[in-house]
Amino acid sequence: MAGVSSPPPMDEKAKRTRDLLASFYTNTSNSNSAAPSSPSAASNLTPRSPSSLDSINSPSFDASSYMSLLVQKSNLEGLLQKHVQMAAEIKNLDTDLQMLVYENYNKFISATDTIKRMKSNILGMETNMEQLLAKITSVQSKSDSVNTSLFEKREHIEKLHRSRNLLRKVQFIYDLPSRLNKCIKAEAYADAVRFFTGAKPIFEAYGDSSFQECKRASEEAINTVIQNLQEKLYSDSEPIEARAEAVVLLKQLNFPVDNLKTSLLEKLEDCLLKLEDESKDVSVGEISKTFRAYLIIFPDSEQRLIELAQGLFSRRYDAVRDQLKKRMLSVDLLELLGIIWEDVSTVDQVLPEAALPAYSLESTCSSIRQHISIAFSHLQHEISDAVAGSQSKSNEGRDELDLQIVLENSKKAAMQGSLDLLVELRQFFDEKLELLPKLRELITDWVQEGFQGFFQNLEKHFILLSGSSTNNCPLGESNHSGVLTQSPDKLPTGLVLVLSQLAVFIEQSVIPKITEEIAASFSGGGVRAYEYGPAFIPGEICRLFRSAGEKLLHLYINMKTRKISVVSKKRFTTPNWIKHKEPREVHMFVDILLQELEGVKIEVKQILPCGVIKRHRNSDSVGSGSTNSSRSHPNAMREDKLTRSNTQRARSQFLESHLAKLFEQKMEIFTKVEYTQESVISTVIKLCLKSLQEFVRLQTSNRSGYQQIQLDMEFLKAPLKQLVDDDDAAIDFLLKEVNNAAHERCLDPIPLEAPILDKLISAKLVKNKDLSASPL
Amino acid sequence: MQGASTGIVYGGLKYQARCIADVRADPDHTSFLAGTLSLKEENEVHLIRLSPSGNELLCEGLFYHQNEIWDLKSCPYDSRILSTVYTSGETYGASVWKIPEISSQSNSPQLDQLVSLDDHTAKIKSVLWWPLGKHDKLVTIDERNIFVWSIDSSNKIAKVISQESVGMLHNLSGGAWDPHDRNAVAAICDSSLQCWDLRTMKNANAIEHAHIRDVDYNPKKQHILATAEDEFGIRLWDLRMPKIPLKELPGHSHWTWAVRHNPEYDGLILSAGTDSTVNLWQVSVGSEDPAIDSPRDKRSRQIDPLLNSYTDYEDSIYGIAWSSQDPSVFASLSYDGRVVVESVKPYIQRK
Repeated sequence: MAGVSSPPPMDEKAKRTRDLLASFYTNTSNSNSAAPSSPSAASNLTPRSPSSLDSINSPSFDASSYMSLLVQKSNLEGLLQKHVQMAAEIKNLDTDLQMLVYENYNKFISATDTIKRMKSNILGMETNMEQLLAKITSVQSKSDSVNTSLFEKREHIEKLHRSRNLLRKVQFIYDLPSRLNKCIKAEAYADAVRFFTGAKPIFEAYGDSSFQECKRASEEAINTVIQNLQEKLYSDSEPIEARAEAVVLLKQLNFPVDNLKTSLLEKLEDCLLKLEDESKDVSVGEISKTFRAYLIIFPDSEQRLIELAQGLFSRRYDAVRDQLKKRMLSVDLLELLGIIWEDVSTVDQVLPEAALPAYSLESTCSSIRQHISIAFSHLQHEISDAVAGSQSKSNEGRDELDLQIVLENSKKAAMQGSLDLLVELRQFFDEKLELLPKLRELITDWVQEGFQGFFQNLEKHFILLSGSSTNNCPLGESNHSGVLTQSPDKLPTGLVLVLSQLAVFIEQSVIPKITEEIAASFSGGGVRAYEYGPAFIPGEICRLFRSAGEKLLHLYINMKTRKISVVSKKRFTTPNWIKHKEPREVHMFVDILLQELEGVKIEVKQILPCGVIKRHRNSDSVGSGSTNSSRSHPNAMREDKLTRSNTQRARSQFLESHLAKLFEQKMEIFTKVEYTQESVISTVIKLCLKSLQEFVRLQTSNRSGYQQIQLDMEFLKAPLKQLVDDDDAAIDFLLKEVNNAAHERCLDPIPLEAPILDKLISAKLVKNKDLSASPL
Repeated sequence: MQGASTGIVYGGLKYQARCIADVRADPDHTSFLAGTLSLKEENEVHLIRLSPSGNELLCEGLFYHQNEIWDLKSCPYDSRILSTVYTSGETYGASVWKIPEISSQSNSPQLDQLVSLDDHTAKIKSVLWWPLGKHDKLVTIDERNIFVWSIDSSNKIAKVISQESVGMLHNLSGGAWDPHDRNAVAAICDSSLQCWDLRTMKNANAIEHAHIRDVDYNPKKQHILATAEDEFGIRLWDLRMPKIPLKELPGHSHWTWAVRHNPEYDGLILSAGTDSTVNLWQVSVGSEDPAIDSPRDKRSRQIDPLLNSYTDYEDSIYGIAWSSQDPSVFASLSYDGRVVVESVKPYIQRK
């Protein structure tokens, strides 16, 4: 039995027993697989091998062969031993078998006992079960009966309850008008609205029949409520919250609130328009309050309000711009902009979404920019007025235009005007307007750009005013397209000189001054991209004005000489020089010439500074592209020429005179013009004399013609020298050149004798004196 | 301010002179004709030739000419034919001459007079040949009239084909024949430039309000011409737009007397003035495409158009002529009778 706790050898024994049992039960099917589990079969030998003969347990065990093998192998002693051993084993096996049998038997007995016990227990249960079933059935029937008996009563109770609720509602509705009235009296509109909306479905269902009266009454009441609410909404004195509530209530009453909103906003718009008309009657503070109120009252009206606010300010900036068209002072502009800016910030607190500051900044920028450009154009106008305005004045009455005054005026206009403008514009920086620091750099740029443009325009204007043709001037390309802008009436020549001097003045005084001022207060301003450099380039402007000045100066000289040239041309082309009569007096033409030159002198004296009186110097000619010198290589050249010429003819009179001239002092005719009285006058005279020479060269005269020219030139000598202080030599030379030309072009060149010459000249002088003495 | 003279000087003219002309019909040499202007002496016509080495001016011929020469033109198709306009005292005349065969025994022979153009009633100003080659007509301009002559040099016959007066109010002083149009002649009037159509002998077109001293057609571009003017120096015109000049050049310190287009290099203009200088200009006439005037172009255009100013002269210069044989060479004649030939090569390469 397993319950017998055997020592380890017993365990071994039990195992063997189980093996045996197993081998018994599975003998046929599992003979091979059982073998490994047996300890003797561990060697797993084939039956034929000698050692396998030992395994008694294997089915292939051959007892006889084992016996014979054993007998052969072992001696007697061994056999005896084997015998003993075997007998012991057999005995062991025997006991094992006995034990197995016993054990099985034991189990069988206990199983039988259990079955017996079970049988006896089950017998009593049947009756208990039947009892239980009967009891449950009775309980069920009893509960059913109770239920049916109480059903009717419960139904009744429920019905009663419903009617009571209905009655209560009816009561509420009947009470509604009075309750509403009470609410109206108490101004508890919220309650009223709540009541009414509660009752509303009923009114909708039964309003036409049972509760007609009631409905009418409550609707009346609620209309009053609506009216009151509207009043409340419209009245500005009510607190904003109350008004907002009113709107909410009205909305709950399905009242068309949008109409209200639009009407209110229209009112506001009117109000804003009025604000512009009557200027300061309604303060922006109030308006901003209104804005806030509406914003709260109508949360969805923001867009409209933004539009309104933007409209308001754009109108105001437009107004500013309108005002700007007339010239206004920076201070005034700043004041205006300041006011608007304050208003903007007030409104901005209420309506940040309107982006008013950005808009305002933009508008301020453009206003200031406009202001600056207008200021500059105004300044230009002033300057041109100072120059040209005097012209019209002179046209009206005075013949003699006081050029000096014009020059001084225009100088002052240019200098003072630009400085004033700068000072004025600087106020943009002084002002403590919150807005401006942001714009500082921009303004700086604008001012610089403004000056740049201003001076460029001024120069253009000068050139235009002067009426010189436009194609060549560096800025005149605009006219290149074909519109030759001819100024309607050319300026008097004197004004050209004024312009020239003004250009010089601007170059030398105004621009440095302005540059200084700009550096002092308008420096920086790097908003422009750096590659463009600063907006105001004084160097460029200086260059512009320098060239303009020179151009105008040359133009002046040109105009003057042209005028004289016309006179001279007439003088030299009209008479028949070959049949010229003997000279009786100095020709009238000389008077005209001198008169013109005197006019030049008067103009020049008024405007140009007195130059340092210089003796004639050779180096004067250096440095001017248009200078010309006669006779630059006196000797070498001529000799060169002589040797080269392959026709060595007898020396002619011509060559002789030429050679003689070669050794005279070298003489410049076309020196660089300076901004001095002397330089301009002498240039004009030199050009005129040169023209005379050229005119003479084109004619052929008889002796008298030559003598006439000789006389005229001789007469001119003194007054011309009087006009030109420093360049006597040149005048002498040129007069002689004219004489020479006449000599060359004369068929019979015999000069007048000196006494006759003197006599005629003094006669002319006397005559002139008489003329000037006699009253005009 | 050229320090030393770069030009080649010919000093053979011993009298004052105004006229120099390129001998266009001489294909082998750079030759010029120059005529003197001497009231009292016998005048000369010099045939000047640039030596093959190009550094010397040689006198190829010297011919006496009775009267002082105010205008001289070389026949564009026959190197030995030339025309002169001359005065002597009160008389005036114009002739076509033939240079005689140069014979060794006489070194200053007389010119053979082919025809005398003597139908003029007023002072003759200039004789015009059609500049580009053989054409059997001549135009002469006197103070009042324009004449068109049919000329037959071999038979020594010249006939007036047509004649038109400009009226007493106008004074003609010169002109130029359009190389692009044989029927168009520009005549310089008192205060305008008149373009005559030779077929109808009518004034077809005019540039008004311009006191012009000299005019020259652009040989490369039709309708373009340059004028030397009293007020404005040099102006370039497109005859299709006679109101507005294309370009203005400052000209000279004193009068701008003459202006000549280079026969080969377009835009190269030579001008001579009474301030004793010859100026070389480079002008691009952008008449074809004024639309591409970008600001950059404008900037570049501000480059001084004056390439060089030749100042090595001692008196006013009235005569300039480009050589058609070597267009980089020009000759200038100053009043003192000095012929200077200069090469403009350095300035051409520069552009």
